Amino acid sequence: MQTDNFAQSQTHSDEARWSVLQRKVQEHNVLRAFDLFRENGIEPILIKGLAAANYYPADVFRPSIDMDLAVAKADFVKANTLLNELAADGLAIDLHRELRHLDTVEWNDLFENSRLVEATGSTYRILRPEDHLRVLCVHWLTDGGGNKERLWDIYYAIANREPDFDWDRFLNVVSRKRRRWLVCTVGLVHKYLGLDLADTPVKDEAKDLPEWLIRRVEYEWAREDKNEPLEIVLNDRSRLLKQIALRFDQNPIWATVQMEGSFDARTRIFYQIGNFFYRIPSSVRRISRELRNRGK
Amino acid sequence: MNNPNNPMARQNGIVVQEMPDEVLVYDLDSNKAHCLNSSAAQVWKSCDGSNTVADIVKQFDGKVTEDFVWLAIDQLNENGLLANEVAPRFAGQSRRQVLKTIGLASMVALPVIASLVAPSSAMAAVSCTCTAALNCAGRACPSTTNCNAQGLCAP
Repeated sequence: MQTDNFAQSQTHSDEARWSVLQRKVQEHNVLRAFDLFRENGIEPILIKGLAAANYYPADVFRPSIDMDLAVAKADFVKANTLLNELAADGLAIDLHRELRHLDTVEWNDLFENSRLVEATGSTYRILRPEDHLRVLCVHWLTDGGGNKERLWDIYYAIANREPDFDWDRFLNVVSRKRRRWLVCTVGLVHKYLGLDLADTPVKDEAKDLPEWLIRRVEYEWAREDKNEPLEIVLNDRSRLLKQIALRFDQNPIWATVQMEGSFDARTRIFYQIGNFFYRIPSSVRRISRELRNRGK
Repeated sequence: MNNPNNPMARQNGIVVQEMPDEVLVYDLDSNKAHCLNSSAAQVWKSCDGSNTVADIVKQFDGKVTEDFVWLAIDQLNENGLLANEVAPRFAGQSRRQVLKTIGLASMVALPVIASLVAPSSAMAAVSCTCTAALNCAGRACPSTTNCNAQGLCAP
């Protein structure tokens, strides 16, 4: 791990110290969560967070506000009941019922290929690097490409990949549409963060980025009016109206991924319309729940 | 056998990262980070509840005085890094006075415990940092109503 190399060096800046210590704190929190889940017979898989940070240089801080754990469908309800206990300890867990839209590879396959990372006398489980990189890419797209900072996750996962990284496992275990999503995301990392792809099998493909994708990510990075969940702006009429108006400008990246669409389709409009209606039931559910909670 | 009068390093509620020339400690209760130089770290590690101050001095091969060890213990105490309450040795004295007393006589770097502050880049990157629950309202964070012990808008 990068942290071990860093610990060997002699001089450190305060920022570097902060980074290495925070990673240790993250690891401590991850192990606490794994201990609790395992005591209850559940074996989760950590995604993003520390699993991504482990590829960063030790003196580069990767902030994260919660911990993403994926569990088997059969364990989800039980795992959900454990979250309050962890929340009481100050741990915010984003629990995933398997990987749902983030990946289409069967959970059993992902689990069998996952790895245990040893840390401070215990272990935590992560996806194999190729599977995790797919999840990082698709997750970044489901955020609508708005989080430029998180492209570094993909940058470091590729730049610091192990020599036996299996590009075939990364790219070719999903549909052609999804494969294109992955190549395009890697292409964006190359274009905007300077990732060197020379010794990779996507060095040519990744340079062929759809114009609409480039336009949208640049628009997302420049805009200040970010989407907020509707349920948190219910009390502020002007913000609520603004957020509803924003919903009519459906992010085409997000819409395409939600609708399992093609990045090379002639237009995004059908995905955007489809996603608009697809989102209505879940928005109504969340708003109703919020209103019910306020009424209690 | 542990003696309640002997200093004992705190074991719970902290995360420790060993470095070649220093030790970094994160206090999970207060969310404060500390950097112990090698002298402070050596004293801290020796505080096992059975060692007296005189025992700890011996572990420095006689290169330091009891005041030197007490300076470290006072700082460990101030920063909440001891499990038991130890009466401060240099209470009421300024740091300058203390350093005058022991600084020149010491063959070893004086024990120092520095606070680590989150770099501004880190604070800016974490958009869900907060100091009170009110800060969380209207933000797309895991919680819009709770500012947790880690200073985050999260349960």
